[in-house]
Amino acid sequence: MPFQRLRNIHQLALTYLVYPGASHKRFEHSLGVMELAGRIYDTVTRDDKRSDAVRDVFPSAKDHGYWRTVVRMAALCHDLGHLPFSHAAEDALLPDGVDHERITWDILHSDMATILADLVPPVRPDLVGKLALGPRKAEKLGLRLEFDPWEAILAEIIVGDAFGADRMDYLLRDSLHTGATYGRFDHHRLIDTLRIMPSAPREEGEGEGLAEPTLGCERGGLQSAEALLLARYFMFSQVYYHPTRLAYNEHLKDFLVEWLPDGRFAADPSAHLARDDSDVLCAIKLAARSPSAPGHRAARRIVSRDHFKVAYVRSPDDSSDDVRALADAAAERFSPELVRHGASPSRGAAPDFPVFDRDGRSVSALGLSDVFGKLPTSPDEYVLADRSIRPELARWISREREQILEEALDAQTEEIDEEVTT
Amino acid sequence: MNRLAQDAVLVGLVRRLRDADSWGGETHVQKAAYLLHELRGVPFAFDFILYKHGPFSFELRDELASMQSDRLIEREPRRLPYGPQLQVTDRGRALEHRMQKTMARYGEDLDWVASWLGGRGVTDLERLATAMWMTRHHDDASVPARAERLIAKKPHIELSDAIDAVEEIDALVAPTA
Repeated sequence: MPFQRLRNIHQLALTYLVYPGASHKRFEHSLGVMELAGRIYDTVTRDDKRSDAVRDVFPSAKDHGYWRTVVRMAALCHDLGHLPFSHAAEDALLPDGVDHERITWDILHSDMATILADLVPPVRPDLVGKLALGPRKAEKLGLRLEFDPWEAILAEIIVGDAFGADRMDYLLRDSLHTGATYGRFDHHRLIDTLRIMPSAPREEGEGEGLAEPTLGCERGGLQSAEALLLARYFMFSQVYYHPTRLAYNEHLKDFLVEWLPDGRFAADPSAHLARDDSDVLCAIKLAARSPSAPGHRAARRIVSRDHFKVAYVRSPDDSSDDVRALADAAAERFSPELVRHGASPSRGAAPDFPVFDRDGRSVSALGLSDVFGKLPTSPDEYVLADRSIRPELARWISREREQILEEALDAQTEEIDEEVTT
Repeated sequence: MNRLAQDAVLVGLVRRLRDADSWGGETHVQKAAYLLHELRGVPFAFDFILYKHGPFSFELRDELASMQSDRLIEREPRRLPYGPQLQVTDRGRALEHRMQKTMARYGEDLDWVASWLGGRGVTDLERLATAMWMTRHHDDASVPARAERLIAKKPHIELSDAIDAVEEIDALVAPTA
């Protein structure tokens, strides 16, 4: 039951209003991640991939079936906690300190626990949760999990920044459904070249094999790894954080805040599992027709495609807080109802991973690749505005930008100085 | 700590580590920031988890990436097979200058950690930071017990090195305990 719910959770929220083909669901994505994670596991545990330097990290042969099942289950379940319409505005719509990963963790320990226990061999929910969330989310949730080298590698197979099956599947699948071909890369070649190997030396003088084993690729797979990172870069700008999608995210959030009891989704597993996109879509349709319904204005914007449009795009000179400062100033000058700040998260720097060079050394990918170090890391950021004020707002920002940013920086510095002094 | 102040402190950390002859890669900054937080109470807003090479913060990794996109620091490629080093840009130095009160508040802590860790290799940093983690989470355990826990999570570390690391951390924790 928890997994079947994903048939009604759009993978890309309201992106289908921008790319009509993007109506696929988390269900097929989760199956895809399970398949790819299994293939990666099979590749990196092959006898011919085990060098002496890392032989100790592998479990005994009799446990391989068990670990393979754990990896595939973790991959299958990694998205169970997604809210209706996936990531859209999750922060604002759940109780403080809760996000979809926390709900995934809770479902694994409630509704999924008996299903996992019935598998042959039975699988522990906490182990599945650990690998499904991975260290990044475990840290964010304050779960205080500790990953030994084997578990860290298995989590990387699923949710890793460089070769995670989650990332591979969503890029390929989202690219297929949107028609935006930027997301394609040679995943067959990439998976075939993956292997567990010692980390590359992190400084001069560090001996070979002193660093713990991790997931890397052979030299022949480097171009496929570069293509994956480029695919991600382009898909961020062109699909996931397309400004129109960001505008729809805002309208969806506005609707949900008014429509939901107390403006939030419930975080307990049973209430969570009872709700999916179909409930929200029905409510949007009804609210759009009825001016007195909660969330009417936002619902009408979604149904009639009267979304906000771009009034300002982050420029290369803008720092992290600048576009938000401009949006805040614009909202104060015009109206908070008519202006929003829309942004992707920071893309993060390209991950460093070891490359198994032709002479058998582990080499830093960042040292070897000319591509990784040059990928832009700035987020995509916009000031979005209602169409009625957009031209005037754009002119106003162009005129006042320098002064707004200077005042915002002065205010922030003063606040910090005061905090430090007291 | 406010994000702008935090960025200034991280810029100060990267600069001091490099001045103190540290390689100054991301691992070095990760471990130094963790030890600064635990031993000197520098209020970084990062959660750490026991992960690759010891305590590690994805939030700190993201912040370092964000600081690169804001051109406060940059990655300096090194010859193979090594990974890049971090270095402070002119814009980073300007931020430090602008945040003088913040830098005055934490300058002594940054000098301390740079002089302690600057000459130490990355393997040492991994051991020390992991020993700190074990001490923080199992503070009632004896030195050998914490060292055993350390090598259980990091089997590539020798027991004698783990014991040395736990003892070094104990010597630093004791005066403030």
